[in-house]
Amino acid sequence: MKDEELYFWNGPLPETQAPAPAPAPEPWGETKVVGKPVTRIDAYDRVSGSAQYPSDVILPDMLHAAILSCPHAHAMVKKVDTSAAEKMPGVRAILKDGDVGTNVPWFAGRGGFSSRLFDAHCRYEGDEVAVVAADTIYQAWDAVRAIKVEYEVLPQVTSVEEAMKPGAPAVRDGGNVIPPGQPYTRGDVDAGFKASDVVLELTCTTPCELHNPMELHGCVAKWDGPRLTIWESTQGVYAVQTGVARALNIPLANIRVIGHYMGGGFGAKLSPGKYSVLASVLARKTGRPVRLFLSREQVCLSMGNRPANTITLKAGAKKDGTLVALQSKVVGSGGAYSDGGTGSVDYVIRELYACPNVRCENQAIYTHAGPERPFRAPGHPQGAWALEIMLDHLAARLGIDPIALRLRNITLVSQTRNGNPKYTSTGFADCLKKGADTFGWAEARGRKPAASHLRRGVGVAGGMWQGGGGSPPSTAIVKLFADGSANLNMGASDIGCGTKTWGAQIVAEELGVPLERISIEHADTGTTQFATPSGGSKTVPTESPAIRSAAIEVKQQLFAMAAEQLKLPAADLELRGAEVVSKTDATKKVAIGQIQAFGRRGVIVGIGYRLPNPPGSAVNPFGVQFAEVEVNTKTGEIKVLRFLAAHDSGRILNEKMCRNQVFGGVTMGIGFGLTEDRVMDDKQLGKLLTVNLHDYKMPTALDAPADKTMLFVDPQDHGFSNTGAKGIGEPATIPTAPAIANAVFHATGLRLTDAPMSPARVLRAMAAQKPAPAGQKRGE
Amino acid sequence: MDHEDKDKPAAATGGVSRRGFITSVGSGAIGVAAAGALVKGAPAEAQTETVKAGEVSTITLTVNGRRQKLLVEARWSLLYVLRDHLGLTGTKVGCERGECGACTVLIDGQARYACMTLAVEADGHEITTVEGLMTGEELGPTQKAFAEEDAFQCGYCTPGQVMAAEGLLRATPSPTLDQIRQGMAGNICRCGTYAHIFKAVSKAADLKRQGR
Amino acid sequence: MLRTFAYVRPGSVSEALKQLEERGARIHAGGTDLLGCLRDGVFDAQKVVSLVKLEELRGITTGADGELRIGALTTIAEIAAHPAVVEKFGALAQAASVVASPQLRNQGTLGGNLCQRPRCWYFRGDYACTRKGGEMCYAVGGENQYHCIFGGGACVIVHPSDTAPALIALDAKVRLIGPKGARVIPLEQFYVLPEKDATRETVLEPGEMVMGVLVPASAAGQKSGYRKVRARGSWDFATAGLAHAVTMKAGKVADARLVLSGVAPAPWRLPAVEKLIIGQKLDAKLITRAAAAAVAGAKPLEHNAYKVPLVHGLVEEVLGGIPAA
Repeated sequence: MKDEELYFWNGPLPETQAPAPAPAPEPWGETKVVGKPVTRIDAYDRVSGSAQYPSDVILPDMLHAAILSCPHAHAMVKKVDTSAAEKMPGVRAILKDGDVGTNVPWFAGRGGFSSRLFDAHCRYEGDEVAVVAADTIYQAWDAVRAIKVEYEVLPQVTSVEEAMKPGAPAVRDGGNVIPPGQPYTRGDVDAGFKASDVVLELTCTTPCELHNPMELHGCVAKWDGPRLTIWESTQGVYAVQTGVARALNIPLANIRVIGHYMGGGFGAKLSPGKYSVLASVLARKTGRPVRLFLSREQVCLSMGNRPANTITLKAGAKKDGTLVALQSKVVGSGGAYSDGGTGSVDYVIRELYACPNVRCENQAIYTHAGPERPFRAPGHPQGAWALEIMLDHLAARLGIDPIALRLRNITLVSQTRNGNPKYTSTGFADCLKKGADTFGWAEARGRKPAASHLRRGVGVAGGMWQGGGGSPPSTAIVKLFADGSANLNMGASDIGCGTKTWGAQIVAEELGVPLERISIEHADTGTTQFATPSGGSKTVPTESPAIRSAAIEVKQQLFAMAAEQLKLPAADLELRGAEVVSKTDATKKVAIGQIQAFGRRGVIVGIGYRLPNPPGSAVNPFGVQFAEVEVNTKTGEIKVLRFLAAHDSGRILNEKMCRNQVFGGVTMGIGFGLTEDRVMDDKQLGKLLTVNLHDYKMPTALDAPADKTMLFVDPQDHGFSNTGAKGIGEPATIPTAPAIANAVFHATGLRLTDAPMSPARVLRAMAAQKPAPAGQKRGE
Repeated sequence: MDHEDKDKPAAATGGVSRRGFITSVGSGAIGVAAAGALVKGAPAEAQTETVKAGEVSTITLTVNGRRQKLLVEARWSLLYVLRDHLGLTGTKVGCERGECGACTVLIDGQARYACMTLAVEADGHEITTVEGLMTGEELGPTQKAFAEEDAFQCGYCTPGQVMAAEGLLRATPSPTLDQIRQGMAGNICRCGTYAHIFKAVSKAADLKRQGR
Repeated sequence: MLRTFAYVRPGSVSEALKQLEERGARIHAGGTDLLGCLRDGVFDAQKVVSLVKLEELRGITTGADGELRIGALTTIAEIAAHPAVVEKFGALAQAASVVASPQLRNQGTLGGNLCQRPRCWYFRGDYACTRKGGEMCYAVGGENQYHCIFGGGACVIVHPSDTAPALIALDAKVRLIGPKGARVIPLEQFYVLPEKDATRETVLEPGEMVMGVLVPASAAGQKSGYRKVRARGSWDFATAGLAHAVTMKAGKVADARLVLSGVAPAPWRLPAVEKLIIGQKLDAKLITRAAAAAVAGAKPLEHNAYKVPLVHGLVEEVLGGIPAA
C-alpha cells in the first residue's frame, strides 16, 4: 500500500513538511493525567442517550428518504417508471438517472473507468437506481416499492474462481483479471528454498467480512440559501466535505459537515456515500432538510467489505528455525468497483520477520459484488492468518517452541522501506516474552491432554501494522480562557477510541487545567481545522503531538506574559495548578486570572502542527496475542476460554480506554476466526445471502471470552514524536484469529487453514484427518 | 400530493436540557400528549373494530412514567413512535429486525426490542427508555456503572446495552458472570466492548444494592 | 419498513377464528416471526389479527395427573423459568432457554415458536422458491450448508424450532382449534414433510390455530434435556440439536425418545436409535452403535455433509452424559 492509500485519502499526498516548527519539547517522564485511566469526558452523553448521533438529528419539516437498490447481481436498467410512486401519500421528490443533480461521477478507476451516481449498468446487487423523499420513512419505502423498473438481467459472476476463467461474464471492459503489478521481491526465493532444511507450503483462505458498524450509513442534509450543512455518520468530515463539494460543484466554504458522534466505522465510513450527495440534491430540490439513512440490508450489500482471500504461502527455514525464504500468492476480489482485492495482505509476510529472500504476488479480480472498503487493518488479518499459521507449522515440524521460533527471527529494521530504516522502537520481542510469561505459556503447552472429547490447547500469533506511526497533516488549536479554563479544537473524529478524552488529557497534562474545565470542538468542518479521516490507527500518533504542541505554545505565551509582569525570565517559570510560579523562588508567582496582559487579550491561542517523523525512521506498532481454547471433538465447537493481548504501541494515553479498544479488536478477530462469513449465491443468482445481522454472524456476548488480559509493552520511544504514542486500533485485531487457529492445532492436531473455523469446518477437517485419540500426544 | 396530518411529538422526559436545541423541535406541541396524560386509569379499550389499513387509531403508552395518548398506524413500530413522534432518540435504530439489540427498551420491566414491537401491541403498557433511567439530570446506577467501567466505545449500542442490563438486574439483582453474559446475549457490540460491559453490569448490581 | 395492513384485536378465540377466515389474515402472537416475514416479503398481510386479548391462551398449569398445560401465548421466557418446567421437563426448559435472544424470548410465544416459518435464506430472500409456490428449490443446487440431511424432497429446509423437538421428546400433544372445531394431536404429527406438501410446515388448516400444548407427566426417573449446536452463542438457530427424554431403571434404558433439530424439515425423531437402546445398558459400545444408527440413511447435500458427523457426535455426547442411575 502506498503512503497516500494509508490515509484513505484520494486527494494530493499529505504534506511532509509543516509550517513554523517549534523546538521539540522534552519527552514526558512521569505524567499526572496522560496515561491515567480517567473516565471518558463524554461518558455522560453516551450512557444517558443524550449524545446526538447523525441518525438522531430531527429538523423541522424534515423529509425521510429511501434508496431503491438493484436486486440483480448484473443488469441493465432499461426503464424506471416512477409515475405510481409520485402519486403516493407524502412523496415529495424522486430522483433517478438523468434527473438534475444526478450526473455525478463515482468509482473512477483504471483505464478511465467511471461509474455514476445512478449508473444504468448495475454491476452488483445493491447498485443504486433511484431515491425517494417523503414525509415519513414508511411513506418513502412504500413509494420505493411502487417504482417499476425494467431490468435486463445479465449473466453474473460472483465467484472469484469463476471470474478468473476465460469466457466468464465480464464485469468490466478489459476482463475480470486486473493486470497485476510487479511482484515484490528481495533476494532469491528459489535459492533460498534450496538452501532451506525444511520447506513447507500451505493454502489458506479467509472470509469476506462486512464491517456492519452499529449505526447505519447515512446523513441529514439541510440548505440555508447557498450553504449546505450535512450531519453524517462518518470517520472523516473533511473527506465528506470535499467529496460533496466536488459532486455539487460548490465551494468548500459553503459546506459544513458535522460528525460529532458516530456509531462506528471500522473503515466503512472514510469517504462520502452516494447518500451524502443524494440527500443534498433532494434537499435542494424540495427546499426541506432530507434524512437519508440506509437500511441494514443495504449496508450489508453496498457499504464495503474486507475481501476474501486465498493465500498460498511457502516457507523455507533452517533446522534452527531461521527463516530463509517466504513466497506468497494472494488472490482476492474487491467487487465490481474496486481494484483492492489483495491490498496489503502481503505486508506482514514481507516485514514482520527477518527473512532475506521474499517474493509476493497479488492477483485482484473483478466480480459482481459489493465494493471493497478498508476494514480494520486492511489485508493484515489475512496475511497474519497465513503467516502465523505457517510459523506454527514450521515450529511443529522443527520441534521448536513457537515463541522461540519467532524470537529467532526478530528484525530491528524495516525490510521493505527504502534504505531499510531502523524501527524507532520494536517491542515485538518483549511482547513475545512478557506475554508468554504472563499467559503461563510454558506450563499450558506442557499440560497433558485430558482423556476427553473436550480438548484444550494454547496458541500464539504475532502481528504488526503498516501504519500507526502518524504523520502530518494535523493542526490543533488550544485556547486558554481568562478564567483558566481551556478549549481543544481539532478536526479528528472520535470513532469510539476516546479521542476527545485523551486529547483533553494532553491539554490537562501541559496546562494543569482539570478535565472538567476543558471543552472540545472536533469533527466539524465549520469550526475545526482540516484533518484526514480517523482510521488507519493514525489518530493518536498524528493528533497527540499536535495537541501537545498547541498546549505548549499556549504555555509559552502565558509565561511570556507572566514573565513581563513578574520581571523574571520566562525560563524560570512553571505552572502549578492555576498559578504561574518561579521555579527558584516560590514566593514569586501570579494567578493565571491575574496576569494583566492575558486579561487585556482575553484569550491565548496556541496552534500546534504535526511535524513529520524524523526522516528515514520507521515507526510501527507491534503485538502478540495468546489464546486458550477448548475444542469439542464431537461437535466441532470451539470455545475461546481466555485471551491475552500484549502490545507495543508506545506510550498509552489512557489505559482504561485502550484496554477496551484492544479487547474490541480481539472480539472482531474472533469474528474473523470463528463466525463471520459473507455468503453469496455464486452458482445461481449471485445475490447476497448473508444480507442481515442474523445470517451474517458477528460475535455476541457469549462468543467473546470474559477472561481477557491486556499487557502494555511500552518501549519508551522518544524517537519519533513528542508524545511517543503509536496507534493500536488495528494491531489489536491482526493476530487474533491465527492465535486461535494455533491453539486449535495444539488441542487437536488439526491444522485448520480456512477461516472462519465454524463447527462445520472443524467437522470437515476432522473427517479428513483423524485427531489424536484421547490421552495420546497432541499436536506439537 | 396527499399530505396526512401527523401526530405532533410530545416533550421528552429527562435529560432534555442536555440535548441540542434542534432536537427539541416540536416539543412545544405538548398539547395532545399532556392532555392525554391527564386521562387517568383508562386501559386499552376493548376493540373488535378493525382498524383499516392506513388509518390511525388511538393508543395509550406510559413512557418513562408519563402517559401518552397517541394516534398511530397499526404498522408503526414502537421504535418509530418513540423516536420520531416522542423525540426520544436515545433508543437507536440498528437493523429493524430484532437482530442487534440497539433498540432495546423495557416493556413492563422486561427487555424487549422496540423495532419488533408494533406500537399498537404496546398499548396500555409501561415503556422505559434509556432516558427514563435518569433522575432529572442524574444518571441512574446502571448508567453510572457503564460510565465508570468504560463500557462503551462508539456508544451507539450503549443505550440498548444499558436497558438490557437494567432488565436483567430487575429480574436477577445479583447475577453471576454466566447470567450476565446470558442476559446481555441479545445485544451486539461491534466495537467489542463486552468485557467491560460484563464488569459494568456487575458494578451496577453493586450500586443498586447500595441504593445508588 | 412494513407495508400497511388492517389490524384487529378479537376479544375471544371464536372471534379470532372468524377474523382468520379472511384472505391475507395473519396471526400476531408475540409477533417476532410475523414481523420478520413481513419485512422480508415472505408473505403479505392484509390484516393482522392480534391475539393480545386472549388471556385464556396464556399461562402454564399442572393438572392433578401431573400433566403440564401450556397456553399458546405463553412466552418462551416464561416457559424457561417456570419451576414446574425446570424441575420436571428439563428438555423443554433447556430448549426454551436457548431460543434466539433474551429480548426475543420475552416477546416470542410457544405457539409462534412451533409455527414459525423456516430460516432458509432463499425462502426468506427475494426468490420464488418451491415453498412459496414457485418453480424450484434454490438450496438444492446452491448454498445448502445449513439445510437438511433427512426428509428433504422438493424442498430441503430444516425446521427451526427448538421447543418442538423437546416437546416431541416429552411426548407432547398440541391443541388446535379452527372453523371445523377443536382437535388434539400428537405434536409429532403436527409437522409435514416436503414429500407430502412442500408449501407448509404444519398440518394447520386454513383458519386453524394453536391453542396450547399438553405434556404428560414425566415418568419416575425420566431425565430430559436439549443440546443445541450453533455457529454463535446467541440468536442462531440450531446447526443441529438433540432433545432427549430417557428413563433409566436398574441401570438400563427403560424408555427413550430422541428428537433431532436442524437436520430435517420437521423435528426428526430417531426410532431406530430408540429401539436399539431400550432395554440396554448405555455403555460406550452401544452408544457408538446408536450414533451410527442415528445417521443411517442420511442424504447430505453438497455443502452439509458435516452434519452427519455432527449428529453422530451429538448422539454420542448426549447419550454419554446420561447417568446410569
